[in-house]
Formats: sequence, C-alpha cells, structure tokens
Amino acid sequence: MTLFHFGNCFSLAYFPYFITYKCSGLSEYNAFWRCVQAGATYLFVQLCKMLFLATFFPTWEGGAGVYDFVGEFMKATVDLADLLGLHLVMSRNAGKGEYKIMVAAMGWATAELIMSRCIPLWVGARGIEFDWKYIQMSFDSNISLVHYIAMAAVVWMFTRYDLPKSFRLPVTILLGLCVYKGFLMELFVHVFLLGSWTALLVKAVLTGAISLCSLFLFVTLVHSN
Amino acid sequence: MFEEASEVLENMLKWSVPLSLVLFLVLVCPLRAEAAHEFSVYRMQQYDLQGQTYGSRNAILNTEARTVDAEVLSRRCVMVRLADFSYEKYQKALRQSAGAVVIILPQNMSTMPQDIVQQFMELEPELLATETIVPVYFALEDEELLSIYTQTQISSSSQGSSSAAEVLLHTATANGFQMVTSGAQSKAVSDWAITSLEGRLTGAGGEDLPTIVLVAHYDSFGVAPWLSYGADSNGSGVAVLLELARLFSRLYSYKRTHAGYNLLFFLSGGGKFNYQGTKRWLEDNLDHTDSSLLQDNVAFVLCLDTLGNSDNLHLHVSKPPKEGSPQHALLRELETVAAHQHPDLKFSMVHKKINLADDTLAWEHERFGIRRLPAFTLSHLESHRSPARHSIMDMRSVSSLEGLSRNTKVIAEALARVIYNLTEKVIAVLRSHQQVQEDQLASLVDWLTAQPRAAQLLDKDSSIVNTLEYYLSRYLKDVKRHLVRADKRDPEFVFYDQLKQTMNAYRVKPAIFDLLLAVCIASYLGVLYLAVQNFGLLYGFLRRVTAPRVKQH
Repeated sequence: MTLFHFGNCFSLAYFPYFITYKCSGLSEYNAFWRCVQAGATYLFVQLCKMLFLATFFPTWEGGAGVYDFVGEFMKATVDLADLLGLHLVMSRNAGKGEYKIMVAAMGWATAELIMSRCIPLWVGARGIEFDWKYIQMSFDSNISLVHYIAMAAVVWMFTRYDLPKSFRLPVTILLGLCVYKGFLMELFVHVFLLGSWTALLVKAVLTGAISLCSLFLFVTLVHSN
Repeated sequence: MFEEASEVLENMLKWSVPLSLVLFLVLVCPLRAEAAHEFSVYRMQQYDLQGQTYGSRNAILNTEARTVDAEVLSRRCVMVRLADFSYEKYQKALRQSAGAVVIILPQNMSTMPQDIVQQFMELEPELLATETIVPVYFALEDEELLSIYTQTQISSSSQGSSSAAEVLLHTATANGFQMVTSGAQSKAVSDWAITSLEGRLTGAGGEDLPTIVLVAHYDSFGVAPWLSYGADSNGSGVAVLLELARLFSRLYSYKRTHAGYNLLFFLSGGGKFNYQGTKRWLEDNLDHTDSSLLQDNVAFVLCLDTLGNSDNLHLHVSKPPKEGSPQHALLRELETVAAHQHPDLKFSMVHKKINLADDTLAWEHERFGIRRLPAFTLSHLESHRSPARHSIMDMRSVSSLEGLSRNTKVIAEALARVIYNLTEKVIAVLRSHQQVQEDQLASLVDWLTAQPRAAQLLDKDSSIVNTLEYYLSRYLKDVKRHLVRADKRDPEFVFYDQLKQTMNAYRVKPAIFDLLLAVCIASYLGVLYLAVQNFGLLYGFLRRVTAPRVKQH
C-alpha cells in the first residue's frame, strides 16, 4: 500500500495549506494569482541565493564530524534575501496589512512546499521501503507555513513608518530569530544529538514561540491606533 | 439534444486529460527505492545428470521474510541460521510451500562447532536429492543481515499469541522485511564446454614404451556451486599431481635419470558429475584416434582423489592386481614405503567391484576399468560415499599440510621405485634436491581454494583452466585441451544459470499501519480545521490583553 502512504504524506502536507487558504478569507479576495506571483518571487529569490552561495562560499574540506559553525552562520546570513523577497511581494500588493501578509506568506510557503517536498515524497514515499522521514517531512511543511506567516508579519511590522520606538528592538530580535532559525535548529541537533522526532518537536515549539510573539506585537500595533 | 451531448462530452474531456495524466504518471514511473540491506546470495545446485534432475528449480523471489518458528510459512521467505538448521525444519518449510529458504552461514566457518559442521555435511546430499521448486539460497552473515534476522525472529514468534491491542501497537512499531532478488528465472545453459588438460613426459629409449597415466579431477562440488571450494576434494589431488609433474619433469631432464616409461598427466573436468571429462577423453583416444598412448602399452592408471590431512591411505581397486603386473609392483612399493619410511601412515587396499547399475560411478578409476585399462584410485577416504567429497564445508583450514606433503612423498617415492626398477632398495630413492617441495604444495592449495571451482563456473576461458594449462606447459610437453560438450539430443549433463544473485531486503510496514496512519492524519486535520476556524478567538483574546495598556496611554 505504498501509494496509500504517499497519499497520507501528501494530505498531511497539503491540507493545512488548503484549510488556511479557505478559512482566512483569501478566496473571497480572488487572491489566487497574487499567491502565484508570490511563489514566482520565491523561485527567483532562491535562484539568486543559490548562485550567490555557489560563487562566494567554497566547500569546506574539514573533518567529517566537526560542524563548521562559522561557515554555516555565514550561509544562514544569506537567508536575509528571503526577507527582502517577502518585502518586495508585500509592497506590490495593495490592501490591508493582514491581506498583504497572508497573500505573501501563502504564496511563499506553497511554492516552498511544491519545490522542496513534492518530489522527495513522490519518489520516496511510493517505494517499497518504509521510512518515518516522509511523515516528518510533511509535518515540517506544516511548521514552515506558520513560520512564514510569522516572518511575513514581522517584515511588515519592520517596514511600517508608524512603528513605535519601543517596538523596534523586539521586532529586530524576532527578525533575526526568523532568519537564523534553521541555523539554530542544526546547532541544537548537533550539540544535543537530538533524534529526528525530538528535533521536530523543538522546531515546532520554537516556531510556535516566534509566531505567538509576532502575533502579540501585531495585535498591539494594529489596535494601538 | 446535441448541445447537451456536446456539453457532456466537453466535460468528460475536460476532466479526462488531467486524470489520464495522473494515471499515466502513476503507472509508468518506475519505483526504485533504496533497500535496508543488499547482499549476495548463492543458489543451491541445479543440474540434470543423465536425465535425472537434481536440486532447486526456481530462482526469482519477492516475498516477506519469516523465520522457521513462525506458524504460517507459505509464500514466505524462510530464514534459518546454520546453527539452527535441521532437516525437519527444512521439510516443514517445503511442506507449507514456502516462497524460498535462505540459510545464513557464518563468515568464518571455523567458529562453528564441529558437530554442526558434520551434521550439515551429512545433510547436503539429502538436500540435493529432493528435487524442489522452492529456491534455496545461502548467504554469508554480516551485522546487518544478523539484525534483520533477529527482528524477523521477534515478529515471527509473536504472531498469533497476543491480544488485539498488542497487535495494533506491534504494527506501529515493528518492521517487516520484504526480500526481493534481482535476476531472471533460471534456465539451462546451452553449449557448456567442460575442459580437461593433458600433458606428457616421453620416456627414454625408443618406441613402445609402457605408459603410466596420472589422473586428478580439478572441479569441486557442494550444495551451492559458488561456495564449493573443494580444498581436500579435489584440491589436494590436483596439487599432488602438479607437484609430481614438476618432480618427474626435473628427473626426466637429465639423461641419467631419464626412465623408460612414458608419463601421461591428465587433469579432468566434470569429475563430480560422473567423470564426464575422463569418459569423453577415453572415447576420443580409444575409439576415434589411430594412435594414442592409451591404446598401446598402459602399465597402470593412478587416479588421485582427496589426499589431504589424514593418517590413512587407501588404494581402491576394482580387481585385485595380479602378481607380476606393474599394478602389483606399485601396490607393493606403496606398502613398503609406508611401512619403512612413514610408519605413522596406515596403508591398505580396498577392493570394490564396479557396479554398472548404480546412477553414478564410485571412483575415477572405474571409468578406465570399464575400458579395460588397469587403474586404481588413491584416497584417504575409505568410501566413495563419504560426505567430505561433496561438501561446501571443505575449505582451506588453517592447519598445516603435513599430511598432504607426506602423502605426496609416499606416492613420489613409490612411483620412482617402480619407474626406475629399484624395488630392492630399502632407503629412499629420491634425494634431497629431488624432494617434494612443501611450500610449492602450500601455495598450490592456497591458490586452488581461493575461488570456487564448481564445474558450472569454469568454462574454457576461466582463469583456473588457463593457469593450470600454463603450469602444465612449464613442465610437460604436448599440453592439450580437451573439450566436452553435452550431446544435443540426449544430454548427459545440463547446467543451469542464475547461481549467484543479489538479494535486497526492504523494510515494510503491514497494510493496517497505513490505515491507522490515515485515521490519525484525518483526526489531526480535523483538529487543525477547528483551530483555524476559531483563530478569531485567539485574536480577540490577545486584543483584550493589549487593549487596557492602550487605554492607559
């Protein structure tokens, strides 16, 4: 029943996106093509990042077991381009804050889902051999959705001209956390030697914390005026 | 009406295109998963000899793995370790029409206790005698295979004994294994050529010299062709023959020691399959050639078969030699040399009449005996039915070759006495520089046992045949190959292929696991849907939390 397993993983990965799209009211605003445009921007930004990484970062020939902290840190810094891309998408969309955030985040996350998850699932989950990593991959895509919504909200807040001074610092910290979340996760896994399920749990907790904080700040900002 | 029809057709077409695309993708895309473990398996023998079929018929496999303790074995791949193997368990698997049997052998056979090795050696002919359609494989054990075996054993023994809840829990955590072999169904190999090699040393002094023929068959036999190394049977015989060739070629190169006997050396192939090589060679030489050394004056034919580590030496004859014949001379010399120079060796003659009603001949000398040539076989085994002649356990052990070199010395000494007619002497005839070289013997046996020498694996281009030919041509003259191909209409022997395959073990979960997972995912999605629908509640809560602060400003 391996096609069944592929169906399981695919529905676990894709249905939350579908639910979010339907229930956030985006479908009423005919936001489908805007999301597709956001997805296209995602592709473009990833391409630029890859070219940049390939050109300027040499492969590190150290020992196999030692983790190259500095190198990975530098690579994670390149992920700042993600923020630029999100900002670009949001600035091109006219509308309320929530609309902009949701459109950008949905398009971005869906593009990431299709590009980085569909093919491994198709090739791997259909095979005879069973592995837990496909279920974990699908869960991970759910977590990514929440992560990108939070990231888009933080970027939006950062670029507001009427952001109160006291908010600057928390917003910047959250921004930094968003960008370096991947790096932090790898650090945790390497230092504490976490198993795959534990790492997933830690990632979920971290994303949840970031998104709660950003939601709190967002609500405060929107309803303070 | 037509409009409606066209509308329906339009709708159908609109949906059929993406549907057919999906269907096409599903059906056409090849599945290539990575296996949990990939290892080589060696199949049991499969051959026809004189019309009788032996061994396991089938080769393909795609079944779940179980161990022998499981209750349901049908259409499953049964895995057994050598230590737990017994004939009853094997019969049980066959009775329940198992999909396949895989016997796991340890990497280093010397770690196995002797009684298990002995028991398996005795079982081998029984395994082959029952013709079966179930493929039987042998695999060498490594860590991953051992872990697969232990996991399968745990899941096999727990079936049918626990409650429903335990079974459910079990399905979520356990790993099943699916064993798949690559390769096709086995089929007969057409036009296989068994090669035999001959070479000679011509005696001094004109025409019509008597000929002594020395014969050894170089192939080996066991329950799995790729695992039959045949160290003793007949690697030792080949080593002795090659050493004698070297020794006598040296002696014959000096005028003083050039004797008046022709020496004909013959390395026969297909020896374990009723001596096919020898049979055809005799037919060709005696029936189809005008003049051959075998037609004229043959003093005797000495066959060498299994001369390894043992303190016994038997001369097997089909007719006791007559007084005054060269055969009798050799028998007497062997007794003398054994008694005087190697008292620890127990030498005796064993008389066994040729029984033509048997399926196969007992010893190689019987082929010559049928053609009325005086022949006998030297072996340390007392009976031709000894399991040591047909076992995969016959491997090069770490022990020294003392017994082999002693037997070689005895044979060389006795032959020298007969050839040079020095039967009166009591002391050794062969001096120090004409002695048997022990390291030469050791390296020959090492080389012979480094690869399997089953007859199905040695075609005329194999490296073993080429090396033997090269070695013979260093010391002997007129080294010739002799090929035996099975007759087209009534083949004496038929070999089958697919003897070595790669087996993949895939980790699988039972079908109920997928259903369970689907239920869990559906409930998770339900919870998520509810959470998203009621997101407004969280939003309102946070707003109420932040609102008082705003009011204070």
